Amino acid sequence: MSDRPNLDELLRAQPGDAGCTAGEDIFDAYVELELAGEDPAQAFPGTAIHLRSCPGCAADHEGLLEAARRFGDVALD
Amino acid sequence: MSTDSNAPARTALDPDSRRWVEQLHPAHPRHAEAVARLRDLLVRVSIHELSRRRARLGSIAGPEFDDLAHQAADDALLSILGKLDEFRGLSRFTTWAYKFAVFEVSGKVARHAWRRQPPSEAELNWERLPDALAPRPSDRLEQREQLQALAAAIGALTERQRKVFVAIALNEVSIDVLALELASNRNAIYKNLFDARRELRASLAEAGHPVTAQEAGTR
Repeated sequence: MSDRPNLDELLRAQPGDAGCTAGEDIFDAYVELELAGEDPAQAFPGTAIHLRSCPGCAADHEGLLEAARRFGDVALD
Repeated sequence: MSTDSNAPARTALDPDSRRWVEQLHPAHPRHAEAVARLRDLLVRVSIHELSRRRARLGSIAGPEFDDLAHQAADDALLSILGKLDEFRGLSRFTTWAYKFAVFEVSGKVARHAWRRQPPSEAELNWERLPDALAPRPSDRLEQREQLQALAAAIGALTERQRKVFVAIALNEVSIDVLALELASNRNAIYKNLFDARRELRASLAEAGHPVTAQEAGTR
C-alpha cells in the first residue's frame, strides 16, 4: 500500500506567500545568496515561502541554482 | 500574495557583470563577440536544463532535442538584450541571464508535454479521493472522519478551485501544463491552488478536523 500523503503538505497555504511573479523577478538574486552560503529567506521571505508550495517555481529555482553553480564563473576579456 | 519587501533595489555591478553589460551594448566594438559568447553559454545552460527535465520530454532526442535547446537559447538571448537596462546587479550578470534560459526551457517543456499528453478528464475532474488518500480499515476513527470531511470540502470548492486542486495536488499534473490546458498562466493557477488549499484547511477546522492543532477553532 502506498504511503499516505502528509495532509499538512498537501494543503500547504502559508501566509506571506509572494506568488509566482514576485519570484521571477528576483530568482537570480535569491540563488546568488544561496551560493554565497547566506539565507535567502532573510531578504526574500515571501519567495522562500512560495518555493515550498509551487512546484513550477521550485523546478525553475532548482534549474537556475544548478546552472549558476555549473556555468557561473564566466567572464569576458 | 505580494512582492518581497526586503529585496534591495539595486547594487553596484561587479567588474565581470559590468563588462558583460558594456560589451553587450549595441554601440560597443566587441558587441558581436559578446553576443556570440553569451549565446554559446545560453545554449549550454538550455541543454543542461532540458536534460534535467528530460522525463517530461517523451522520446525527444538528437537533432530535435538540440533544436529545442537552440530555440530556448535564442529566445532567452532576445529577452536579455531587450532588458539589458533592467539588470540591477543583484546577482552576477550570468546568473541573471541564465534565468531567462531556464524560464524559456520551462515554458517549452510544458508546451511540449501538453501537446504530447494533455491532462485527461479523470485527472481534472473530481470523483473521489485517490487511493493514497482514501480511508483505510486500519485508520483510526478520527483519521477516517478527517478524510471524509476533506472529500466533502473538495466537493464544496468553486469549480475552478476544485479542478486546479484535483489536477495538481491529487493527480500531480504539472502546474504549467494545467495553465496551458486552461488557457491561463502559472501565477493565476497558483492563486487558484493557494485559495483552494486555504479553503480546505478552513473547512476541515470548521468541521472539527483541523490539519494542525493550531488550526482548531480558527474559523
